[in-house]
Amino acid sequence: MDDLISDLPQSILESILTRLPIRDAVKTSILSRKWRYKWASITELVFDGECVSSLHEGSTIEGSLVKFITRVLFLHQGPIHKFQVSTCYLHSCPDIDQWILFLSRSSDVRELILKLGEAEWVRIPSCLFSCKKLTHLELSSCELDPPPRFKGFLCLRSLSLYRVLVAADAIENLIWNCPLLENLALSYFDDSLAITIRAPNLKHLYLEGDFADIFLENTPLLCNLSVVMYMADDMAEQFELEQSSNCNFVKFLSHAPRLESLAGRAYFAKYLSIGDDPGPLSITFDHLKIIELCEVSFEDMKEVLVLLRLITSSPNLEELRISAGANTSPAGAPDSLDIWERECPADWTFKQLKVVKMTDVDGIPHEMELLKFLLGSSLVLKTMTISPSTYFKHNRMDMLIELLRFRRASSEAEIIFLQE
Amino acid sequence: MSEGAMAVVKPEMKSYIWLQTADGSIQQVEEEVAMFCPMICREVVQTGMGSSKNYAIVLPQRVNPPILGLILDYCRFHQIPGRSNKERKTFDEKFIRMDTKKLCELTSAADSLQLKPLVDLTSRALARIIEGKTPEEIRETFHLPDDLTEEEKLEPLRNITDDPRIRLLNRLYARKRKELKEREKLKTVEAEEERVDERSADDLLSYINSGDGKGVRANKSKKKNRRRKDPSKDALSNKVNGDHDEVEAVSTACSHGEAKDLEVASPHKASKLRDSFIGTFSPKLEFDDGDMDDDLDPAMREELDREVEDFARRLNSDWPERMQELLCLGPPESKLLPVHINGLDRR
Repeated sequence: MDDLISDLPQSILESILTRLPIRDAVKTSILSRKWRYKWASITELVFDGECVSSLHEGSTIEGSLVKFITRVLFLHQGPIHKFQVSTCYLHSCPDIDQWILFLSRSSDVRELILKLGEAEWVRIPSCLFSCKKLTHLELSSCELDPPPRFKGFLCLRSLSLYRVLVAADAIENLIWNCPLLENLALSYFDDSLAITIRAPNLKHLYLEGDFADIFLENTPLLCNLSVVMYMADDMAEQFELEQSSNCNFVKFLSHAPRLESLAGRAYFAKYLSIGDDPGPLSITFDHLKIIELCEVSFEDMKEVLVLLRLITSSPNLEELRISAGANTSPAGAPDSLDIWERECPADWTFKQLKVVKMTDVDGIPHEMELLKFLLGSSLVLKTMTISPSTYFKHNRMDMLIELLRFRRASSEAEIIFLQE
Repeated sequence: MSEGAMAVVKPEMKSYIWLQTADGSIQQVEEEVAMFCPMICREVVQTGMGSSKNYAIVLPQRVNPPILGLILDYCRFHQIPGRSNKERKTFDEKFIRMDTKKLCELTSAADSLQLKPLVDLTSRALARIIEGKTPEEIRETFHLPDDLTEEEKLEPLRNITDDPRIRLLNRLYARKRKELKEREKLKTVEAEEERVDERSADDLLSYINSGDGKGVRANKSKKKNRRRKDPSKDALSNKVNGDHDEVEAVSTACSHGEAKDLEVASPHKASKLRDSFIGTFSPKLEFDDGDMDDDLDPAMREELDREVEDFARRLNSDWPERMQELLCLGPPESKLLPVHINGLDRR
């Protein structure tokens, strides 16, 4: 019977071997004489905890894994385009330095992903910065120290740093010096980071963690923005005192006119609300289709105002998701309902808004005003889904009665009230 | 032509492309379906071929009629732009269900037509087939020949799991193989022993020690013959007796498992030891090819013997009882050192 597969073109065999877990790929070396070194020229090496299944006596998973990766690298021939190690079993060890040195020498590596155990920080050797062809870099639990004369990764399109120790200006310079950068994800830096982002080609930005300050100074092409911002309560107060004139909202969003989706969680709404109200915004987010804001405190008039300004600057909004935050410390008069009449542009309509979802609704005045506003101005609304919060159950009937009265601009609008 | 006339004419004039497969048969295919293949598209655009039966586009060798049929089914479905991703995925999942042989042929054909989406689909399917199977199962599925020698099978895996003894073994195998090849060039007589691929560990080691054409063995016995001529028989038997102590020494040293020490300790003694044993329990084999090794210098032979002893000892450093057996037993008919390497017993 003829051999079915060994004579297929190398590109196909490589395509098949790359789709196998590395352990299976290496095992093909004992299939037959022709297959002995076919695995050794695959261009993608992806290692995880599954690579070493059986433990030898006296060795740990970590030890076996290190040996496995080193041996594979040693037996490998040809270019390596992707190198990924993602396992919690591996921590900082000198072998990692050698792997990166090896990869940087051939300088063909395009994708480098290191997601290691979170117990220790791996200090990334400086030879990483000589990998000129990097297009995709993902690091976690690392310590990064770009050399002073580092000119940037000229091909880098995607950068993701999770729990990485790096100085703020080093990060800013890194971002600025990667002209093709399109995706950026920064999560959980050690200290509260105050960061300014200048990235002319940036399209997708994800920020999560404890940020002291975020300034999007130069991000004209940004279309997706997602921020999970944690802030200690005392930080918020400190902000109020320091930056009373500077409005965070304007500072943050005014340089992202092409935004298509915006998602803000935790303290994001609070962060935006810091500073004086700028009045009606001069920019409109014509492309903004999806807004998701969590933990908006509807008892804080400033946050409500932020929300109001945001949605009235987005004429083409299609989907709006809001979750009301725990209303613990109301700042400002909660009953200043006239802002809705005052600040909303006259005859404002949402021409594209189809889906509204609001969760943790308590039925407090500002929440109801928002719903009233949305129902009254959304011409093509299809569904409005409301989930009540688990507290204040006695308000429900009143809330529903009030909701029923609101004028609806869209004849097709369905109000769906979700009981838990 | 007026627009009205065009509108009437168009629906009846469906364009076809003519394709010729490797077996010479020609068929016509709807244009939009055929043009979905980049290779066909390029042929049509660049050379203008395919417009009639006489000018059919010759498809690459790997595309035979049944496979072409499958490919065209794929193209016919996917070239319609309005299909949803879910529909496409469902179609792909169903489409890919075929026996392995056809799948491989399809992969090859799709690659030659540069139909990348289909190549990706089939590659994924083949990877799924391979994943998780044992080597035997994979060989059976794809009809692969099991033509690796035992030590070759171990080599890449063992390297990865870090066994210095096996690494050394591999190195020595390589060197031995090279030297034996050289020796075989000088051979005039003696056909090779039939090289069977299914070798046990025992066979492998005897291959190393004795060579395919009894080269090394003859070598040793030649040495023995010579030695017998020169010194007296007494001297020889003395040597044998005297070396008994060394046997003990070596074997106890072995049982400590310290390969390093042994290497330093008594390489010469051990090889002489074995030689003398061979001499004592004179093999009943014919050494008609005894002359053939004259060209090799004794220094190399000495070195070879030493190396063989080295690695054999190393391998056996964990098996003191084997070592005892080895040193005390005479050589059986065809094998000198029946050493079982741990793990090599399994195929």
